[in-house]
Amino acid sequence: MRIPPADYVEEVHRLRARYPRGRSAIMGALRLAQRRHKGWLPPEALEEVAYAMDVTPAHAQAVASFYDMYNLEPVGRHIVEVCTNLSCALVGAQQVVDALEEQLGIPPGETSDDGEVTFRLVECAGGCGSAPVVIVDGRYKEPTRPEDVPGLVEQVRSGAGG
Amino acid sequence: MSSVELVTVTIDGVEVQVPKGTGVVETAAAAGIEIPVFCYEPRLGPPVGACRMCLVEVEGIPKLQTGYTMTATDGLVVRTAAASERAADGQEATLEFILVNHPLDCPVCDKGGECPLQDLTFRWGPGNTRMRFPKLTMDKPIPVSPLIALDRERCILCYRCTRFSSDVAEDGQLVARNRGARSVIATFEDEPYRGRFSGNVIELCPVGALTSTTYRFDARPWEIQNVPSVCGMCPVGCNIAATTREGRVKRILSRNHPEVDGGWLCDKGRFAYGHLAAPDRVVDPLVRRARRYDELSWDEAIDEAVGMLQAAEGRIVTALSGSETVELAYALGKIVRQGLGSDCAVLPEEVSTELDAARAPLSRIGQADVVVILGDEPVAERAPIVDLWVRLARRNGAEILYDLDEARIRSAERPVLIWSGEGRGGAEVARLATSFGCPGYFLPRTANGRGAADAWAASSDGEAENPDPIGLLIISGDEAAANPYVRAMAERAEAVLAIAMFRRPLAGIADLILPGTSYLERDGTYVNLEGRLQRLRRASIPPAPDELAVLSRIGAGIGVELSPYPSLVFDEVSAIAFGGRPYGEVGEEAELPQPVPAGQVPAPGTETGPGERVEGPGLRLVTYKPLFSGPAVERVSELEFQRPEPDVELTPDDAQRLGVLNGQEVTIRSNGTTVQLRARLAEDLSRGAARIAEDFAAGLEG
Amino acid sequence: MAELTVLTGVETRDLTKLDEYRAIGGYGALELAREMEPQQIVETVTEATLRGRGGAGFPMGRKLSLVPPPEKRPGPAYVVANADESEPGSFKDREILSRAPHRFIEGCLIAAHAIQSQNVFVYIRGEYLAEYEVLNGAVEEARDAGVLGDVDVLVHRGAGAYICGEETALLESLEGDRGQPRPRPPFPPVAGLYMEATLINNVQTLASVPAILQLGVERYKELGAESAPGTVVYSLSGNVNRPGNYELPLGTTLRELIFEHGHGVAEGRALKAIIPGGSSVPVFTPDQLDVALDFDSVQAAGSYLGSAAIIVVDERACMVQLALRAEKFYMHESCGKCTPCREGTRWLVQLLEKIEAGDGTQDDFDLFVDVCDRIEGKSLCALGDFAVWCVASYAEKFRDEFQRHIDEGRCPFGGHSSVDGVVAPSDQHTHSAMAEVPA
Ligand SMILES: Cc1cc2nc3c(=O)[nH]c(=O)nc-3n(C[C@H](O)[C@H](O)[C@H](O)COP(=O)(O)O)c2cc1C
Ligand code: SF4
Ligand code: FES
Repeated sequence: MRIPPADYVEEVHRLRARYPRGRSAIMGALRLAQRRHKGWLPPEALEEVAYAMDVTPAHAQAVASFYDMYNLEPVGRHIVEVCTNLSCALVGAQQVVDALEEQLGIPPGETSDDGEVTFRLVECAGGCGSAPVVIVDGRYKEPTRPEDVPGLVEQVRSGAGG
Repeated sequence: MSSVELVTVTIDGVEVQVPKGTGVVETAAAAGIEIPVFCYEPRLGPPVGACRMCLVEVEGIPKLQTGYTMTATDGLVVRTAAASERAADGQEATLEFILVNHPLDCPVCDKGGECPLQDLTFRWGPGNTRMRFPKLTMDKPIPVSPLIALDRERCILCYRCTRFSSDVAEDGQLVARNRGARSVIATFEDEPYRGRFSGNVIELCPVGALTSTTYRFDARPWEIQNVPSVCGMCPVGCNIAATTREGRVKRILSRNHPEVDGGWLCDKGRFAYGHLAAPDRVVDPLVRRARRYDELSWDEAIDEAVGMLQAAEGRIVTALSGSETVELAYALGKIVRQGLGSDCAVLPEEVSTELDAARAPLSRIGQADVVVILGDEPVAERAPIVDLWVRLARRNGAEILYDLDEARIRSAERPVLIWSGEGRGGAEVARLATSFGCPGYFLPRTANGRGAADAWAASSDGEAENPDPIGLLIISGDEAAANPYVRAMAERAEAVLAIAMFRRPLAGIADLILPGTSYLERDGTYVNLEGRLQRLRRASIPPAPDELAVLSRIGAGIGVELSPYPSLVFDEVSAIAFGGRPYGEVGEEAELPQPVPAGQVPAPGTETGPGERVEGPGLRLVTYKPLFSGPAVERVSELEFQRPEPDVELTPDDAQRLGVLNGQEVTIRSNGTTVQLRARLAEDLSRGAARIAEDFAAGLEG
Repeated sequence: MAELTVLTGVETRDLTKLDEYRAIGGYGALELAREMEPQQIVETVTEATLRGRGGAGFPMGRKLSLVPPPEKRPGPAYVVANADESEPGSFKDREILSRAPHRFIEGCLIAAHAIQSQNVFVYIRGEYLAEYEVLNGAVEEARDAGVLGDVDVLVHRGAGAYICGEETALLESLEGDRGQPRPRPPFPPVAGLYMEATLINNVQTLASVPAILQLGVERYKELGAESAPGTVVYSLSGNVNRPGNYELPLGTTLRELIFEHGHGVAEGRALKAIIPGGSSVPVFTPDQLDVALDFDSVQAAGSYLGSAAIIVVDERACMVQLALRAEKFYMHESCGKCTPCREGTRWLVQLLEKIEAGDGTQDDFDLFVDVCDRIEGKSLCALGDFAVWCVASYAEKFRDEFQRHIDEGRCPFGGHSSVDGVVAPSDQHTHSAMAEVPA
């Protein structure tokens, strides 16, 4: 059993209190833990979630591994995501992916060696009306065309991404 | 329950009448029609509809329905694969999809020959596979624990095991990880599945994905026999089938007794059979000569024993273990009490006969609306399956109380009382229960303490007085040999005769050691905590003649006539203690005798053994004997990881009062000694109690 | 510009602000509602035949009346708003949440009054961060202004799982478990969140309620189609000149939407295919441009209006590649609970990959069609059906294109398809991939 920082436990307990049944707070608890662990959920983080939520670490891991937005592997300081679902694909998402791969020097699914950027693909982000959609640290950059990529990457690397 | 409305359902043209709400699968069964299933298992809670094997056509619903998520309503018309093209196609489709990623490695699979997937494929499945792409491959098998191996390729994701873990044992250890085709069964970070009931997932798995490490590749289904018996590891007396091959026990399976165990076993009962082959097992009579033990021939041994018995001139004390069969305890009594007039015994524990007044099947706990648990010892450590009944009750909406809230009990419709701890052999709970007119259960420490005591009492009506000095101490069984009180007595005794399985604990204490047998090697009867007389059957041939055979020869030596056959010995006891019930009637699925009106019968013997309380600083120390302990468990290395953790359990209130956090390292001080333990919050305690497993409380006692 | 009922006023004012919303009569419907008996509201919504905008088009009034009244239910009742919008092509709820959050909240509060519930949960997809901030801000503003009354509104963020849009999966997720669908019955109105009575509706459905009370049933029913009155926000995307959200009367034709509002196919290219209700529904061909976009008309034409997300596909797209990309989505999003969807989607991807690569045989194609057939109608939730409706319809309506991949042993577009080589999340090493599981 791993005792988390008291302020995290309090935060989670406050969240639990908002629901008729505290168990419902686990998604929020996971999100908070991820924020405290450099953007991902190492086993220790899951143990902290389990402690604060009064569930087993196994349950925390079962839930976390079901959703795409919980990272169970280390990620970069910034996350650049590209949607390649139908509407984006039809208007050139792949060209944006290629441009990013070139600019970042890593294929989708990877994190740059300097740990600065994680580059990955996502399913429809709900920006189909202004496709192709790129998401930087959770903020939509839409539309993003191949020619916008160098500037975008510049922004991200200079930390002004999110 | 009482007023069941019958409805008429038509299945494949066959009309059946069933109570409203009966599952369609059961309804079909009632009509003699099988609907194949994988994920369906009523004991695991509400249906999940995952595997899609039970697809049927239902009149009035365009889509195929999963038979087992539906219940019988009047006029329901169902067509199964046997009568419906669409249902048949649906079923074949499901099987094809299940097999798409199945390795089909049946030849090297333990499940082969007793595998639902094999059987259903054989009967409903496609003849060939149309899957021509690489299948998902994974490391296999991976250990889920030292007891269980997992083959993820064979897993069909029916979620039976994970549902057992979360919804029956409620240990939340075994879960599904990831999503979609990547989903796998897993534990947290692949740590071992620690839990008292983990082994049940092996039996639940409908394919060869979860297998027993102690059974793997040990036998093929057609080489084995399943011997119906009962478990002798705790007072619940779960019904088991001991799978044997060439007279050796290879595995223990549950033999569902709906009133006793509901088809579950604890890991102790399931995996401890390894002790039969322990290296320090006594296989020949041993006599102490100076500093060493010599083997004796059986004739010599019998003469030696008879000699010791006579030399004691009636100054004999007999220490029982509570693991003796009714017949064995009676035989001992007949020899030393009738034969030698020595009535003094050390009984493993007192079990009050007043309990008979509050007697009820364990399954009643599951239907209770209020469950009161008293006694501060963890139910699961004393009688594991009872813990599952309590959890079932809670899931059914029952309130679980850990103090005697009389008002609440009186206002309840179906209350039950459970006493988990000492409490004068259950006399307390019996009295309470009868006063509330509800079932009362006492959880003894030994498997057959009750039966042994009754048999001992039946063997004579001589009055017990303590001999001084003790001429001969008879130690019957390994639990007695491990009992500090008995060992102290052995120091004082002039001679010690022991009948036990294991040599180590007796070395230096006993003068004569006769080989003992395990509950898996005996015929006879046990009385479980409900007061249910159950039948033990020999599954494995013992390395030496069993105790009854030996005792009947010793008896002959001192002129006591004693049959070597349990059946005949039982008839003798039965006439006195069990209303003349014939041996043959103690059947496969023993039923529980009616409660008898409360009457006073003083239980013989003295209460001894672990579990005493000591005043700690501010807190009352409660120690308990962990489930995973004792002579058998200590001899099974696979169970090592299940031994208790160094925890001290506190109520949340006390923890708060003392400013102790869940999981925090704390120091416990008591009469000079201190131990470092990890605090854990426990609801099933009364305020002011600090609970520690014996293993870690040693220094704190007395 | 036709009359609006959901996005009214968003062009002229910043309706994320409470006073701005009030200035155009916002929360007036709530006041009316709180004057009314709950049963009256149920009747009004039923008369208005407001049909669910989340995909199934189920009448909201019917759903309301399925929720047992307080005296007939064991516990509390809950209102759950489905803001998980993840259907490829859909982005209407996003527009409503970020531009007219108060109208949506008002709808939720009216619904809560109708079923006498004190708890509203909004399950918003995790990716909608900005929208979450706007909505949460609006909720707090409303709370401070005392608009919520005795109702608590809690915005719950998802974390990236399409399946959580399915109502029972959403409930599982909201309860703190893996978002896997439950078998029905029991249906949510009877046993939903925490197994209590639960009304679950799409964002737009709820946001349509205030207009019904304000305009009155007659005026409302003058809008839209006979069988489905009112307006709907069409999400137009793909190869079209002016993609975006268009709130129009239900029953607007595809032609009007694409060529008038959307200004036609981009760069004057030829129209090849139209997906009328989000990626999950059967595809239309240009000869079906005059189909009216309401639930029944679209269904009569062999598809579904779904979430009213229209994806325009021009001549440059290879339908096999499009099918492959779509199927990879469903494989990635399959929750893994039921066999046909979990195993079938993966198998379909494998078959489509082979055909797309030009290695497919006639048998592979027939097998593909048959596997689709075997998944449909067998799965626990509709995702399994979605996963085949789309691709099976491509194969049926663009059969020749599939055939050419097989006959010519290569993609007839020779690398010039607009969706050539598009990579999907499932192709990359995504989070939590078991090391030993090749994706
Ligand atoms: C796989 C799947 C995904 C779904 N996604 C959504 C969604 O994102 N938003 C939504 O409102 N309904 C979605 N639905 C439909 C819901 O199950 C449900 O029908 C709807 O929320 C009911 O609301 P309504 O009656 O107002 O349309 C989805 C259904 C399925 C099977
Ligand atoms: S159809 Fe797919 S998503 Fe729906 S329950 Fe089955 S596996 Fe899950
Ligand atoms: S398809 Fe890319 S945002 Fe919808």
